[in-house]
Amino acid sequence: DQVLHIVPGTFQQVQHLQLLCSTLMLDLWKPLLPEDIRPGEDLHIRVPASLVQEVKDSLYQHMISYRVLIPDVQKLVDQSMPRERSSHRQVSGGYVYTEYHPMEEIYQWMTQIQKNNSELVTQHILGKTFENRTMYYLQIGQPSNKTKKIIWMDCGIHAREWISPAFCQWFVKEILQNYKTDPKIRRFLQNLDLYVLPVLNIDGYVYSWKKERLWRKSRSPYGNGTCYGTDLNRNFNSSWGSVGISFNCSSDIFCGSGPESEPETKAVAQFIRSKKSDILCYLTMHSYGQLILTPYGSTTKPPSNSEELMQVGKEAAAALTGKYGTSYKVGSTALILYNNSGSSRDWVHTIGIPLSYTFELRDTGTYGFVLPSSQIQPTCEETM
Amino acid sequence: QDIDDVGHKYHLELELEDVLDKGRPVSCTAEVLYALGSKTSAPDVQVTLQGELRSTEEADQEFYNWIRSLEKELVAENIPDSHGNVPPELEPIHRLAWVASGFLIWQNSTENTKFHLAQVKHVKQVKRSDEDLQFDYVLLLHDMVSQ
Repeated sequence: DQVLHIVPGTFQQVQHLQLLCSTLMLDLWKPLLPEDIRPGEDLHIRVPASLVQEVKDSLYQHMISYRVLIPDVQKLVDQSMPRERSSHRQVSGGYVYTEYHPMEEIYQWMTQIQKNNSELVTQHILGKTFENRTMYYLQIGQPSNKTKKIIWMDCGIHAREWISPAFCQWFVKEILQNYKTDPKIRRFLQNLDLYVLPVLNIDGYVYSWKKERLWRKSRSPYGNGTCYGTDLNRNFNSSWGSVGISFNCSSDIFCGSGPESEPETKAVAQFIRSKKSDILCYLTMHSYGQLILTPYGSTTKPPSNSEELMQVGKEAAAALTGKYGTSYKVGSTALILYNNSGSSRDWVHTIGIPLSYTFELRDTGTYGFVLPSSQIQPTCEETM
Repeated sequence: QDIDDVGHKYHLELELEDVLDKGRPVSCTAEVLYALGSKTSAPDVQVTLQGELRSTEEADQEFYNWIRSLEKELVAENIPDSHGNVPPELEPIHRLAWVASGFLIWQNSTENTKFHLAQVKHVKQVKRSDEDLQFDYVLLLHDMVSQ
């Protein structure tokens, strides 16, 4: 359907338009009634798709000029529909990607994903959490007998940042769904392997669902059980314990009893160490802040490849903004956010992985960690 | 950014947008002075509006009437909820919390803090003998430093 904008010049034209509207029963958007059509005044009519050509021919015959105001009415309608009611709900194979899921469902989801995409996806065990939950990651790519380069992405290192695991799940779905139709993705998965860890801090995530929504750390006890949890993103071996941390176990930025003191950290670090010569890029997803952070957090001294890091980061931010206009800032953590040591992003860079980024997803404080599930789709779409 | 020996003064140009009147931003300028060394006093803030903000009288009245019409004192928790949702009738309570947290944040801000209201943990209306409304809030504030 299209909406046409017409300014009739003469009374004859007005009459013709009135006739057209009444015989074809066209939907007048402006003015309200055909009898209100006047020469020199704006006319907006919605023409059903099947009649568009006929109407345009008739206008041409009567030398009435028009402009197409809205080329596709349905598209506008779909865009403005609340997510639940439109076909854009993003349910793929029964899984609702526009909602937040508890850990049990994420475990099931991983199994399903591997099952449904076994030619591309394999599920692997990374290690175990403090509370003995298994950490799984998904390896996505075309199998090959040569060793492939790797891009690693982990989500949910901080329990309350729910949008982060939601993004990992969305990302996997999106890549797999479009694999057949998108040559770029095909080539990508041909040449590289994607390793996705949907929830790194599983114990913390479970706790944020069951007990305390704004919990951040892991759930290992310290101080004889007087306090719980280490901030896993302060627990890596990069200037560990130096800045932006606390040695007080009740602090939200408690860095643990030593670098890699936590089983979760150890599991990730061990794996990345073993594969480090093949890892091209390390991504870790957080919220909130709308930032793309580069190393380092512990010092303002720039990393050796800071220009490259900034350039890639800026291109990513521009692509992201292109989708919905959401703006992201790019820069080194120490400069843009604050000082911190022991972060996974920094550690990964110090062992030689060139491209290492922390993404802080939506928003900038309005909802903060409790981002409404209605924002899952736009956040994920733009971050793709 | 100005650096005096009194402290650090920031000159800001910003746009204010009323949550209930989006699409009509009002420009304003502000000067924020963080006193040197003083970690116990709030920064000094001077704001000049270049335009007018919409009157909130109608919305205020509506909210006031609604609360007065309730049979029991209002009690609510977790706003927004875990999934980020706020029931429409509780939106004014949420906004009130924003305003209150704004004051607290201002009183506790330094150049190194970046506070946001994370969630209204609990709110309870306090019964009063006069016609004023009183609410007791437990607010969770988040400082970006712990990101």
